[in-house]
Amino acid sequence: MSDEIIQIETPFQFNEENKREFDELIGRYPVKEAAMLPTLHLAQRQAGFISPAVMKYVAELLELSVMKVKDVVTFYPMFFEEPVGKYVIRICHTLPCALRDCKVVLEHLKEKLGTDVASETNLAKGTTDDGKFTLMKVECLASCDVAPVIMVNDDLYKNLTPEKVDELLENL
Amino acid sequence: MAFIKLNDLEIEVEDGTNVVEAARDHDIEVPHYCYHPGLSRPANCRMCLVEPYGPIPGAPPGTIGPARQLATGCTLTVRSAPPERKLEEKFDAIIRTDSQRVIKAREDILEFLLVHHPLDCPVCDQAGECDLQDFSYRHGHDKSRYLEVKNVPPKKDLGPDVLLYSTRCIVCTRCIRFCDEVSGSGELGLINRGSHDEIDIPRSHEGIPIQLLDNKLAGNVVDICPVGALISKDFLFKSRPWFMEKANSVCSGCSVGCNVTVEYKADGVYRIKPRFHEDINQHWMCDDGRLGYHYVNSDDRLQLPLKRVEEELVTTQWADALTLISDGISQVEAADIVVIGSAQGTNEDNYVLQQFAHDVLNTTQLGLFGQLQGEEHKFPQFTIEADKNPNTAGARTILGSANGNVVLEGDTLWEKVASAKVVYLVSGCPERPLQDAEKDALEKVDFLIVQDVLPSEVTQLADVVLPGTTFAEKDGTFTNSTGWVQRIRKTIDPPGEAQVDWEITQQLAKRLGGEIDYHFAGEIAIAISENVEGYGDATHKNIGDAGIKLA
Repeated sequence: MSDEIIQIETPFQFNEENKREFDELIGRYPVKEAAMLPTLHLAQRQAGFISPAVMKYVAELLELSVMKVKDVVTFYPMFFEEPVGKYVIRICHTLPCALRDCKVVLEHLKEKLGTDVASETNLAKGTTDDGKFTLMKVECLASCDVAPVIMVNDDLYKNLTPEKVDELLENL
Repeated sequence: MAFIKLNDLEIEVEDGTNVVEAARDHDIEVPHYCYHPGLSRPANCRMCLVEPYGPIPGAPPGTIGPARQLATGCTLTVRSAPPERKLEEKFDAIIRTDSQRVIKAREDILEFLLVHHPLDCPVCDQAGECDLQDFSYRHGHDKSRYLEVKNVPPKKDLGPDVLLYSTRCIVCTRCIRFCDEVSGSGELGLINRGSHDEIDIPRSHEGIPIQLLDNKLAGNVVDICPVGALISKDFLFKSRPWFMEKANSVCSGCSVGCNVTVEYKADGVYRIKPRFHEDINQHWMCDDGRLGYHYVNSDDRLQLPLKRVEEELVTTQWADALTLISDGISQVEAADIVVIGSAQGTNEDNYVLQQFAHDVLNTTQLGLFGQLQGEEHKFPQFTIEADKNPNTAGARTILGSANGNVVLEGDTLWEKVASAKVVYLVSGCPERPLQDAEKDALEKVDFLIVQDVLPSEVTQLADVVLPGTTFAEKDGTFTNSTGWVQRIRKTIDPPGEAQVDWEITQQLAKRLGGEIDYHFAGEIAIAISENVEGYGDATHKNIGDAGIKLA
């Protein structure tokens, strides 16, 4: 390997609104490090995914090393390290949803979107070519009573059938 | 003091000692990976489990038995208990490290640690000094029950000197804690989750580093890695550890005087590792010192004396060189001779040198030469000093104090040199550039004698060059910046016909009719202890491996 390190061409920065929100949330925690998760969520909402520039910015904000941020980002599957679609569709595939035919819903989604399911280390695999959707499997979404469920960005959709999925995608 | 029962031993230990250390002091092995005495204790490897005893809940008062759960020996500290809480009326704690439960727990933990381990000992650099290997042999199962596919994370390059073989890693996190706590640079961390955990530096998703493990203490993570995961590129595939001899010595890289172990074979020095000293370097050393030994093995080392013949330096015999020098010196007045000692040399070298100057040459004008000032680097728990000489303090005292000599340094020295006819300069500094003032002064000298280890700008100006020795080729003592006098030890033979510096000076003295007659460095140390103020106790016998601090 060369001793090359990545050159960050466009540094990331919070916009006005997020800066205000960050200032508000940092006050809720006894130490700055504790604000890592909400800060990363905020940053991901603005940037779309956690790039090295974002990691550096968050590390500076929270007075931590970049590795501490990378550590957290790779731990949680809800933080993305590469670009994802505008709509991230998370489909539950744990037991109750599986019993209620989530597989059918998943196959329908795959066919409809024309994409595979993303893996944690390869999100591009589950992203449509137009960059609109990313399809990924998740563990329980805590709504077993209304299985099968999917989550599109922050919203939960219940009791799904292929027809309901079609309707849902129409409206997005 | 706490009075504890450890297995069948009844021992007294300091309050606050943990069980691993208490056991180690009494030759009982409690295997451990994540625990390192110089770092915080996360107790994550679970290898050091021991069985503490205490009152059994619900049983009649006074009955004691093993605790319900085993405890980690690294975080279990013992301290004196009030009388009503003593066990068996006299013990502050009762701990067993050899019960069936403990033995079973160790076996099982080791089986888990080896689940993803490749067992590639035959090609691993750590084999022979590997805790995983040793503890598996002494405490582990003889076979694995794991039949699934092993994780094979990639080999990674972390920085200029450190490689990570992720497959061998047992995720004890010693290296991460080192970077957080001792160097304070925090380059290392864990990526991913659960059994996919890997040590890494921060990288982009494509694997390009955002930051490298390139702090000046980075080499220590290789030492503290209990397995062969972190490997030094400098030592990779160079030698098996059991083929090397070891000698306790002191680093010559700066005036901190880190205690080190020099590992060597007949053909040269192979590796330098830090050795624990509570007041000087704790468990650590810097990479400048660790990797700075290569000049010792250099093919360019001076092996024979050189003399100047028609503007060229040509090799010659010792007898010829010494005759040349004694002729040169006897032609001039004492006032025209300057003798310059080296802050790279030992106290013994400098003592003989000042004795030569005072008794034989009748000059009290001595100089002190050494490496140029470097940069000071401060870390949360370590400092690399700006003075790049191991023995500035010692050389200054020894050259000066015994005979009332005056030690010149800096500008005054070079002014003096510029007006001198003969200069005897002992250098011993690898790669020492000359500054303009120094070069001008040395060029004006009629007859310049240089004693050095490698060809340098200084030897370029010399009329006679004498091949000296490095820290690895002689016995002696160094005095560090905080007044610790410590031993360095001979490891390898000097190259060619190079000789120990004080022996060269002594031969010169004999040529000129002097009566200096030492046989080994320890004898000179005794003379130092008798004649130099403050060095009263500094004989080699007293100094030993721990060193002594000057009053």
